[in-house]
Amino acid sequence: MGEIPVFFLHGLVYAGLLFLVSSGLTLVFGMMNVLNLAHAAFYMLGAYFSYSLLKVTNNFMLSLIICPLLLFIVGAAVERFLLRKVHVYGHVQELLITFGVAYIITESVKWIWGNYPLGLNLSDFWSGTVNLFGLTYPVYRLFMFFFAILISLIMATVLYKTKIGIIVRASVDDSEMVNALGVNVPLVFTGVFGFGAALSGFAGVIAGPLLTTYPGMAADILIDAFVVIVIGGMGSLGGALLASLMIGELQSFGALLFPKLSLALMYMLMAAVLIIRPSGLFGEEQ
Amino acid sequence: MIKQRGHAYFLGWGIFILIVGVALPLGARQYELALLTEIIIFALFAVSYNLLLGYAGLLSFGHAMFFGMGAYTVAVALNRIPGLPLFGAVIVSVMVTTATGLAVGSLLLRHKGVPFALLTLAFNALFYAIATKWHTITGGDDGLSIRLPDINLGFAYLKTANITVFYYVTLLTIGSVILFCWYFTRTAMGQTVLLMRENEERMKFLGYNTNISRLILFVFTGFLAGLAGSFYTLFFQFTSITAISIDMSTIVLLMVIIGGTGSFIGPILGACVYIYLQDFLSDITDRWPFIMGLIFIFMILYVPRGLSGLINSLIERLRGRWHLPIKVETEE
Repeated sequence: MGEIPVFFLHGLVYAGLLFLVSSGLTLVFGMMNVLNLAHAAFYMLGAYFSYSLLKVTNNFMLSLIICPLLLFIVGAAVERFLLRKVHVYGHVQELLITFGVAYIITESVKWIWGNYPLGLNLSDFWSGTVNLFGLTYPVYRLFMFFFAILISLIMATVLYKTKIGIIVRASVDDSEMVNALGVNVPLVFTGVFGFGAALSGFAGVIAGPLLTTYPGMAADILIDAFVVIVIGGMGSLGGALLASLMIGELQSFGALLFPKLSLALMYMLMAAVLIIRPSGLFGEEQ
Repeated sequence: MIKQRGHAYFLGWGIFILIVGVALPLGARQYELALLTEIIIFALFAVSYNLLLGYAGLLSFGHAMFFGMGAYTVAVALNRIPGLPLFGAVIVSVMVTTATGLAVGSLLLRHKGVPFALLTLAFNALFYAIATKWHTITGGDDGLSIRLPDINLGFAYLKTANITVFYYVTLLTIGSVILFCWYFTRTAMGQTVLLMRENEERMKFLGYNTNISRLILFVFTGFLAGLAGSFYTLFFQFTSITAISIDMSTIVLLMVIIGGTGSFIGPILGACVYIYLQDFLSDITDRWPFIMGLIFIFMILYVPRGLSGLINSLIERLRGRWHLPIKVETEE
């Protein structure tokens, strides 16, 4: 049974990717009470930007730095110029505007890059394999996993050890109070929204070469990320981490053990959590 | 949001639309008639969606699960059960959809607002996945084609392959169901739904079981969407994975937002505008969904009440200019 450790690692890699996407989603939700349907569209944009950048420069490290920055700008602009305008109309309108943004991004992607999958060829170094305790494993997947951990660690440090982190966490708890204390909360909102978009775009950049870049990739990961934050509890980072691991492993082992059922397994887990604990594993009771 | 008006106002509109609908085939070409049939089918889908969004304040991103369920069930029933009459298949289909609505609704309606929206999306994805994978029943990506049975009324034999005949069948069936929906919003049950949106605490305090009312409404809208879906299959004589996809949920959302959630007529208007625009734009450019998206964002930002709201305020303004007495509307 040599494949079990391999599938376990596959699960971890996907969990890392899912956590990058869902942490931004759950952070924005906890703070602004907005479920950002465009979040996965940012992920897709990250992958496409990186594709174009790689074609020009052929430098993967460069696109790892530039694409998240670009997405920070896109995300901040969406928050500043669209989301804030409909804020007064309530949550339904906010949800609808992010939906509209996701729709437009998907259509633009189809328009600019074409409605078909794009393959990426990285240099030889990335496509090699590495020997890991007697196990051959692709370098790239390993890299994805460690990068996801690195980014998560940086995020955790910023959130829990710096002043900005304190403001963000306080805004998640009670944004009005933080505003009253003299913090420019709308600016924090724009920043967090942009940061979430950048995280998502980062995930897109590293996912692109592995999962191929295609216009449906946003919808695919969006559903998974939603399932993650429903299971983990909306607004909870710890919940998102645990649920990402659960979904990642479930998908990986589901594909190994019950290939026909693998899609349904995730929903079955979600339904079970919903029945037992409707607010999610780490969510606050309503 | 939703304005209540006198019976006469709507009955007048209803009769007007019916007369126009009945008279249209006399002047219309085949192609336009097909377009009209499609509009009627989607009007019902949009009306059912607005009962959820506009009346109950429940934003769903998964209404296509019922539409697709209806579309597939009618195709499977017609293909598997020989000699099944057309309306027999429709009845089977709406029964299955209603049961699905009950099952899904009892699971999802524990949530409200954003978590509800998210869960509807996830469930739609689940249904979509089932439809793609369960090849033996649904035909997977290939879809299912059907042979449309003719209708034998005893005294008349209707050839449904004729578009004019099919148009009338659709108009009569769906038109009367839409009228029933309008009637439903006027009943005590329909009013309960409205009040529940405005102040649920108070409704509970008055002794209403709001969870049951919401479930009934959800199942009812599922039933309506299933009916629309089954006619969708009958109209195209084919059903594909599109019918149950999230794209279909998107389409109905676009229609309702364009038309406006604030009135009963809004979504019907939205369906007309959407189908017509789609037909018009897809001739000009392949990028028509992009334009639809721009229209959608524009509507959300600047016309949150939709086209019907726009028309209403225009009428009010004209009334003011002509110094006519402004009809007092009670807003509930």
